Amino acid sequence: MSIGGWVTGRLGLDRLRAKYLGKPFPVHSTFFLGEIALFCFVVLVGTGMYLALFYEPSAASITGGAGPMPLAYASIVAIDATPFGALVRRMHHWAAQLMIASIVLHLMRIYFTASYKKPREVNWILGLVLLGATIGASFAGYLLPYDQFSVTATAIGYGIARSVPWVGPALADYGFAGAFPSPSSVPRFFAYHVVWAPLALSGLIALHLVILLKQKHTEPAAARAVRAPADAHLIEGVPLWPQQASLMAVLMLVVIAVTAVLSAFLPVHPSAFYGPPQPITPEVKPDWYLLWVYGALRLIPGGLSFRFLGATIGSEAIGAMLVPGILALAIVLVPWLDRGTSSLYYAESPTASPRRLAFGLAVVTLFLALSLAGFGAELGLGVPVLWVITLAAPLLVWWGSYLLAGGRRGAGA
Amino acid sequence: MDRRRFADWSLKVGIGAAIASAIPGVLTLRGKARSAATKAVEPGDRLVFALGQNAGQPVTRGGFSQNEAVLAYPEGKSDNHENLVLVAKLDPAELGPPLDMTGTAEGVVAYSAICTHLGCTVRFSEEPMDAAPFPHIHCPCHSALFDPRHGGVVMGGPAPRPLPQLPVRLNDKGEVVVSGPFTSPVGVKA
Repeated sequence: MSIGGWVTGRLGLDRLRAKYLGKPFPVHSTFFLGEIALFCFVVLVGTGMYLALFYEPSAASITGGAGPMPLAYASIVAIDATPFGALVRRMHHWAAQLMIASIVLHLMRIYFTASYKKPREVNWILGLVLLGATIGASFAGYLLPYDQFSVTATAIGYGIARSVPWVGPALADYGFAGAFPSPSSVPRFFAYHVVWAPLALSGLIALHLVILLKQKHTEPAAARAVRAPADAHLIEGVPLWPQQASLMAVLMLVVIAVTAVLSAFLPVHPSAFYGPPQPITPEVKPDWYLLWVYGALRLIPGGLSFRFLGATIGSEAIGAMLVPGILALAIVLVPWLDRGTSSLYYAESPTASPRRLAFGLAVVTLFLALSLAGFGAELGLGVPVLWVITLAAPLLVWWGSYLLAGGRRGAGA
Repeated sequence: MDRRRFADWSLKVGIGAAIASAIPGVLTLRGKARSAATKAVEPGDRLVFALGQNAGQPVTRGGFSQNEAVLAYPEGKSDNHENLVLVAKLDPAELGPPLDMTGTAEGVVAYSAICTHLGCTVRFSEEPMDAAPFPHIHCPCHSALFDPRHGGVVMGGPAPRPLPQLPVRLNDKGEVVVSGPFTSPVGVKA
């Protein structure tokens, strides 16, 4: 008896194979965005496990070649000094950028094809939580190199936490282990970044995928035409083994190759270039996925504030909490604003509902306009002009796409 | 009480006790309070350069010229980031309220260098710009703009409060010495 047969017999793998390996996976090029995010996470865990072997989570000052510097910063410079270490660290950064980018594209694919509708509301929420947790994990990782850029970015995060109404100072001190910059912050963020965040992300990803398997993937809209309505709950696609598994393996290798090539040619977060932390603040902008918050912070004038239930909601809380909070709430509530009456089996066409298309494009435009506001000084645009763009562009896009998708006709008929 | 109810209550009390016992542990997450190692600024402290080759040397009247500013710490208290101040030398004739005039000397004024918006370190610039055709303080993070001649009031951008002024005087050696506490809380206020 072969070893494979022995293991199969002992573990009852035949039944497992019969039940799961034949699971059909509908194929469409946009159905791989979530998988790309998953493979980026795998790359992040792999490169992170390597980096953690060398990184020293301490802000204690040591005397390096160029004078005193924090231990964490010195260990990053040491990692960058070896060719393989530099490549792995860049891959870690690039995979994080690609993970967030693919999650955002995945989210847009789900939105514009209405795949959030009944019964997939739970996975819509879970997906948004995953996006938030990924951004949180990135933010925690941002501090770890402890260069001037990292410390500035985290100090702004600390300021934002402090500005939260009612609980701000306590929240900031609990989250950052005392007033930032404090020596306790580095071990705290190290724990967040290498233990709490990966564990939470792994659990959430597992839950997201189990629910996907249970509820089944939506099929491309074209499948509706070739299926009797009574058979809508059935699903056609390539089996998990071997077709879907091979597609996934190829995609995983492509993700690794792309991060490696990007890392080989495009430096990302060059800590030695930023230098160790100093009392002065460099000109910094956040990564692309937080530019819209940065833009909102620059747009809200200091005089804008109001009192609510005993707390003063100031300009910083409006820009970094209220505006993102309202946008996040609107996105979370999408499955309840656009409810399906029966279970959804086929992805809808993006133009099927002019209202959904217009709302989605308007929100995307708002994010882009706020990000543009982050570049006001570079573009020579004043705050009033940027306000007009931020308010007018989403409205114009909403109106234009609503009309182009036949919204008026639909309403009139 | 029957056995089932007893088991049920035991379980609930046990869970409650386990949660309650974790509270002291959770409270330690707050991090260390500011201890003796991080001292606040006090009247009588000399201001010393925070950066550059003169770091640690006293800031003196002759150490920088008009319409120039330096970053400084109260001597021996650089561990506390909130002590970072920006010392500027301005034209005394241009100074005016709400600046605390008794806290200035020969045009030397000092402000907290921590932006009241989100805590970045502010910068001084003598070059006029459209929004501020005079020497001004600005923040590189979100473009907050302050007027150092008039008590650090907000001239533009997102800052919700003026920069806190740190009253200073000159001692007989011409060194800049703190003469009073910050006029308002430093940094981001909740």
